[in-house]
Amino acid sequence: MSEAVDSPQIDPDLIQKAQKRRNVWLAWALVAFVVIVGVSTALRIQQTDFSGGDRLYFSGYMDEAAKEKADREAMARAEALAAEQAAATEEQVSDE
Amino acid sequence: MSVDMTVEQTGPRLATARDYVELLKPRIMMLVVFTALAGLVAAIGVTGQAMNPVLAGVAVLAVALGSGAAGAINMWYDADIDAIMTRTASRPIPSGAVPRDEALAMGLIMSAVSVLLMWIASNTLAAGLLAFSIVYYGWFYTIVLKRRTAQNIVIGGAAGAFPPVIGWAAVTGTTPLDAWILFAIIFVWTPPHFWALSLVAHNEYKKAGVPMLPVTNGAKETRLQILIYTIILAPVGMVPLMTGLGGWVYAVTAGLATIGFLHFAFRVFRSRAGDADAGDEERKLAMGMFAFSILYLFGLFAALIIERGFGLYLPLGGA
Repeated sequence: MSEAVDSPQIDPDLIQKAQKRRNVWLAWALVAFVVIVGVSTALRIQQTDFSGGDRLYFSGYMDEAAKEKADREAMARAEALAAEQAAATEEQVSDE
Repeated sequence: MSVDMTVEQTGPRLATARDYVELLKPRIMMLVVFTALAGLVAAIGVTGQAMNPVLAGVAVLAVALGSGAAGAINMWYDADIDAIMTRTASRPIPSGAVPRDEALAMGLIMSAVSVLLMWIASNTLAAGLLAFSIVYYGWFYTIVLKRRTAQNIVIGGAAGAFPPVIGWAAVTGTTPLDAWILFAIIFVWTPPHFWALSLVAHNEYKKAGVPMLPVTNGAKETRLQILIYTIILAPVGMVPLMTGLGGWVYAVTAGLATIGFLHFAFRVFRSRAGDADAGDEERKLAMGMFAFSILYLFGLFAALIIERGFGLYLPLGGA
């Protein structure tokens, strides 16, 4: 590519000033990017249920099957626990 | 067709912030963001799934950045033909404000940032779809299709149809039928929308050697194709009523907008718009249709946002 980037007709001071302005804009863009990533990550961590098998950033479509399996297992564990507690209560009642 | 990658920029000038904004094609970006927002709001309304408003905002920002990135890549590649056409000669690269390499770098960096932000804010499917749509527009449409076939707008139109699907995927992590219905509406809408403009600008495209339909097949064939696609669009625009995605507000809006669009298409078909001897009246008619097509799409998606985002959804078959 042959592009005329510089030109003797433009005052070098103006070019430098424009470059500085661009650098300031770039710096602000970087700051904004870091803030957005930070805030988004914090929000994602807050709403992710790690105990239920969710994984940060991969809780969407890609591992839907794994999520369903984890949910089923969690349900089964909860049901087993409830049955165990019910049996224990029943046993206690019959003892009395 | 060969591409002149050694195009000289006319007298360089200092770039302003406006030049960099223009590089991102802000008008296209607005429509892209609006349709993505409609997809996102509709997904929340239909599925009842919640999305943190801040994360939703970041997802929409990611779509905007992705659209801008694709626009910058498009301007980088098309700088040679932009310099030839009067309509585009004042764009940042041909006017000498922004160096060509800088536009490419900006496009690539923004593409990566947009996909990363989408991934962080939502899920891998939405990020993947965003990446795919950027590549589709920036590479497949701009580099492969645009200068090769008169069907460039038809096939390339898919790039602009992805935003509502991305918005939907950002919320649910899935892309159900309703999301693809919104895709289909924009996909079928794109040819009559763009060809109405090309009826006016066909001499410019001819000068630049871009095989737009009026250049390759003539104005008469283009007017017929505009009519055919508008007739196809009429029922496609009504499909959201069949799945329950749209309610009464959508039905009334889409009904009126479709009648208006068909009216324009018939008038353009019977006119001499795009012909060598076409006058100001025909030019105005084609531009009128182009403007109305934007209003049509805006109306349909605004109706969805009103219904699903503001709780005004009234199902056609009753509650």
